[in-house]
Amino acid sequence: MKMSFLRAAFAITSLFSVTVLSAGDKVEINPPLAGSVSKEQGLEAWSRIFEVASHPRCANCHTGPSDRPMWSGPSYGKTRVHGMNIQAGNSRIGAETILCSTCHTNKSEDWSNANVTKHAAPRVAMSWALAPATAHWFGRTTQQICEQLRNPETNGDRDTLEIAEHLNHDLILHWAWAPGGNREPAPYSLQEHVNDILAWGVAGTPCPQD
Amino acid sequence: MQITVNDTSYTIDVEPEMPLLWVLREELGITGPKYGCGIAQCGACTVHVNGYAVRSCQLAIGDLGNSSVKTIEGLGTPDSLHIVQEAWIEHQVAQCGYCQSGQIMQAASLLSTNPDPSDDQIDAAMSGNLCRCGTYPRIRAVVKAAAKKLQGS
Repeated sequence: MKMSFLRAAFAITSLFSVTVLSAGDKVEINPPLAGSVSKEQGLEAWSRIFEVASHPRCANCHTGPSDRPMWSGPSYGKTRVHGMNIQAGNSRIGAETILCSTCHTNKSEDWSNANVTKHAAPRVAMSWALAPATAHWFGRTTQQICEQLRNPETNGDRDTLEIAEHLNHDLILHWAWAPGGNREPAPYSLQEHVNDILAWGVAGTPCPQD
Repeated sequence: MQITVNDTSYTIDVEPEMPLLWVLREELGITGPKYGCGIAQCGACTVHVNGYAVRSCQLAIGDLGNSSVKTIEGLGTPDSLHIVQEAWIEHQVAQCGYCQSGQIMQAASLLSTNPDPSDDQIDAAMSGNLCRCGTYPRIRAVVKAAAKKLQGS
C-alpha cells in the first residue's frame, strides 16, 4: 500500500521538478532528462555517491548483518564498535535490550543547539535506528555498495527517484551533512548527493566493474 | 508549559531547550535522577518517558510533548516498592548509590519489555549505565532475580 502510494507520487515527481521543505533543508528532486547522462557521467556520479555512502557519517550505521553500530572516522580516532555494548538487535532500534532513542532522543524541531555538544549522542526529529541489514556499507567496496544500492531487493524496493525521495524524507540522513559537535560531515551536500543519485539513475545505475 | 511527572501535572516556565533533567532537579525539586555527565555517557539521569528508559539530560523539555515522565520517586513507594527496587534491596546492590536510581530505572525498563533477559541481554541493556563502585556483578544478578520475581508474580 505504502509503496503503491510512493510509486504514484514518484510518477508525478518524474514529470515535474518538486521542491520539498523538510527540517530546514531544501532539497529539489529534479532528475535530468532521460538519455541526457552518459555512462561515464553516471560513473562519475557514482564515485561521489560512494564517497558519501562509505563516509563514517553514513557507513557507521550501515553495518549489515552486524547489529553493532560503529564509531569510526576522524571524529573518533581508532575504529571501534559503538561504546556501551550497544546492540541494535533484529529490531534495528535496540528494542531487545536498550533503545537507540534512550540516548539519541527525538527532537520535535531543529533546535540550533541540539547537536553542538561534543561527544553527546546526536539527535534528529525522528527515531534513531540502524539501517536495515541488507543495506550493508561499512567496510565494503564501491562495487559491492553499488550493486546493493541498485538492486530493489537490497535497497528497500526503490528506484533511484525513490532513493532520492528517501534522502529527502529521512532526517537521520539529513543529519549526516549537519552532524554537529566535532563530527566531520558527509562530503558534498545533501542536494549534490541527491543530484548525483538522480544522474546515476538516468545513466542506468552503472557500477565500476560493469 | 505543562508536564506530567510521576502522575502529577506541573506548570513550568522554562526555555524549551532546557534538558528534562534540569527541569526535574532545579524546577521541580525531584532529585532522584542524577547529573553525571550531561552527554548520555553514564546513565545516572535515566528516567522513563512513556514507560521507556531515556537519558533525561538528552531530552529538551520542548521535545517532551504530551509524554509522561516517571522518575525513581514514582517507580514505587516505601510501602509498595517496585519489584526491581525490592530485589535491589535484597541483594544490597548499592555501594555509594549515586548511579543506582539510573540503574534501577534502566533495569525496570528492560524487564518491562523483556521479562526474561539472558545475561548477554542484561549486559547489553545495562552497559550504558556506569557504576564507579563496580557493582556490575550484583546488578546483573539482581536483574535476573527481579526477572524471576516477575515471572512468579
